[in-house]
Amino acid sequence: MVDLSTSVSGAWCARMLADFGADVALFEGSDGHPTRALAPFDDADNSVIAEYVLANRRSAVVDVEQADGRAAIRSAIERADVLVINKSSADLATHGPDHASLLQQKPGLIMCSITPHGSTGPRSEHPGNDLTAAALSGWASINGLADRPPLKPSGLQASYCAGTMAYGSIVAALLSRHNQPPHQGQFIDISEIEVMASTFSPALLNSQYLGEPQARQTKVDMSTGPVPVNDGHFALTISRPHFWRDAMNVLGLDDLADDPRWATSWYRKEHSEEYVHRAQAELAKWNKMDLFDTLAALRVIAGPVLETDELADNEHLRDRRFFRSPDEGGPEFPGTAFKMGASPSQLVKRAPKPGEHSVEILREFAGLDEADIDALIASGVAR
Amino acid sequence: MTGPLSGYRGIVLTQAWAGSYATQLLGMLGAEIIQVEFHGRPDSWRGSYDRPIPETVQNAPGAASEQHPWNVQPNYNSVNLNKQCITLDLTTPDGIEIFKRLVPVADLVAENFAPRVLGNLGIDYESLREIKPDIILCSLSAFGNNGSWRDVPGIGGTIEPISGMSSLLGYEDGSPLNSGQMYPDAAAGLNGFAGIVTALMHREMTGEGQYVDLSMQESSIAFIGDALLEERMTGNVRGRLGNRHMTFAPHGIYSTSDDSWIALAAESQGQWSALCRIADHEEWLSDPRFADNATRKTNEDALDAQISAWAAGQERDALAALLSNSGVIAAPVLDAIELAADEALRERGFIVNVEHPEAGGHPQSGIPAQFSNTPATIQRHAPLQGQHTQDVLHRLLNIDEPEYRDLFDRGVTGAGPST
Repeated sequence: MVDLSTSVSGAWCARMLADFGADVALFEGSDGHPTRALAPFDDADNSVIAEYVLANRRSAVVDVEQADGRAAIRSAIERADVLVINKSSADLATHGPDHASLLQQKPGLIMCSITPHGSTGPRSEHPGNDLTAAALSGWASINGLADRPPLKPSGLQASYCAGTMAYGSIVAALLSRHNQPPHQGQFIDISEIEVMASTFSPALLNSQYLGEPQARQTKVDMSTGPVPVNDGHFALTISRPHFWRDAMNVLGLDDLADDPRWATSWYRKEHSEEYVHRAQAELAKWNKMDLFDTLAALRVIAGPVLETDELADNEHLRDRRFFRSPDEGGPEFPGTAFKMGASPSQLVKRAPKPGEHSVEILREFAGLDEADIDALIASGVAR
Repeated sequence: MTGPLSGYRGIVLTQAWAGSYATQLLGMLGAEIIQVEFHGRPDSWRGSYDRPIPETVQNAPGAASEQHPWNVQPNYNSVNLNKQCITLDLTTPDGIEIFKRLVPVADLVAENFAPRVLGNLGIDYESLREIKPDIILCSLSAFGNNGSWRDVPGIGGTIEPISGMSSLLGYEDGSPLNSGQMYPDAAAGLNGFAGIVTALMHREMTGEGQYVDLSMQESSIAFIGDALLEERMTGNVRGRLGNRHMTFAPHGIYSTSDDSWIALAAESQGQWSALCRIADHEEWLSDPRFADNATRKTNEDALDAQISAWAAGQERDALAALLSNSGVIAAPVLDAIELAADEALRERGFIVNVEHPEAGGHPQSGIPAQFSNTPATIQRHAPLQGQHTQDVLHRLLNIDEPEYRDLFDRGVTGAGPST
């Protein structure tokens, strides 16, 4: 698998392919993969984000501005099963590799493009990032509070979602190549905004059915999200009737527990002002993990707000062996998003240094002989 | 069905959002997805049987004169496209027996009950494997199938805080928030889809099925994994950043003159220069506080104040177009109605009008991937409850009309509340 992407979404797609067994070669330019410049950094100036999304692959530095560099990359693509890119269609037409000619030459290739807006359509040449994906997918319009600005999802959600969708689509295309005559590859076009708008689909259709857009909440209360408790914040977003009954009993609000009107969630939502102040006053007396443990014993859903250091120490995640260091050593990574019983994911390598494996990749992926590789390195096209 | 997964069949017990979204993505890519819904205990996203139907739904274009609350729930209808739905009372031996007869003709089973439920029903992974040795089972649960919290229930609204996501979502000066709808479900759905196709690939290569265990807590953490790794690598506990970026400035959402909002950012000096020229504030370029990204980041409050003051006099769409066409990262903040009407997304074939026999015609989010050789298409509206029971049982199990009628009369199948 050849990774020519320069985005977090492309890198995450390649990370998933590598985690589940693909041999991934990252080609990066002499400036290095752009994620290497993203904060935060550790004491040795390694980008944490690059460490996370570029792990588990090898790296070659090859100058695409040079004809010899492009030829070497082209050769690697022609020998690969999968290519991940994130260039716009115009950019590809100018610099290659454009998908029509590549697929003609190598019909088995699966070529996946991941861009903010997709490779076609009126916005295809517009730049974008996680912020604009949040804006255009609807998510920003419903996150946050009505009297404050719309709020993007935290961090790199559009990138992770799009990378995951791209990964699944690539595997689907590999299955199709395996199953469906004439066993060809294809071009896959992923738009980060469309993936986020896909995750937004319930709010979109709710708004259509009601004839007005879902709005940001006017206030934070226990019907919508975390509220203050003695040592932090806690979400008691109840769904089923017995959760409500047991939770109200735990809070000592027996009249709310016993009144059958409160059993259905739509009724609670529409009349929340009648109970939230009382319930929240009781919640404020609890420590978050004491309340969680009490409710968990009753099998009631409950959500203490945990921060990243608390998660790192979390006993349940430790039971599940969720954190692991790469086989070659290094910091503990949070594990994969799902566990495969028969074909578990692997985390072999930390993110490579730029060009750490140039010689191996030019030999194994591009099929060059030692003389050609020496020449590329001597001329500075590869390093 | 068309699409890269054409030829695969899933018999799925998925419900609500996470599981339904995972299997919808399989169906969107061409797999035949048959949802088995508990007769008498509906998919929770169909809502309760007695929920009032809003007038806007009763009067929607193309809406049926007779509507059932459970068939006109937008939550359900938004995440079950390209599926069929049958109902079985899985609390009865007859219901379980029919389910077990469907397993041999399935490639995969998926579910998102609490972990103990499948075992209680006698259809856990080991039982399914006895019926079909290479079956794939994907379970999506709150905390996964082992560990000390295995049997603790959860939904998106509690997983968001307990996965750390809420601690990162919010304004710089505010408390932790949950997202406007339960985002961890969507993340789990994408990851469940990914896990299932990974298992199909492994089966094609080795002949071996497997169990895919997805914890919603873990799949959420994976999507903030850089914040977890930051804590492991540096000891820093990341907080809430609002709309800001850890590296680049400006990066925010600003109010515009037409009572709307625009998102804009500059990730390069070129984008910053273009922004200053378009804003007609070239003095920003010579302001030492804004000279390069590092100084802009240091002086981000002052920078945001300047941009806010300027954006407040601009029209959202005109400004977004001007900035985007000049290579600056910018976009209008669309609400859900504007999103459904967005011309660019319609031109791409992403937003599609779906006709539903009871709810009428509405635009919906379509397929978030385009395939050049095996195009994926929306072929089915979200199914009515039990819409396909008779057809599926006949087609796959050769159950004829009298036998189906008998099942119906005995309450093993049916639609709506059990009588």
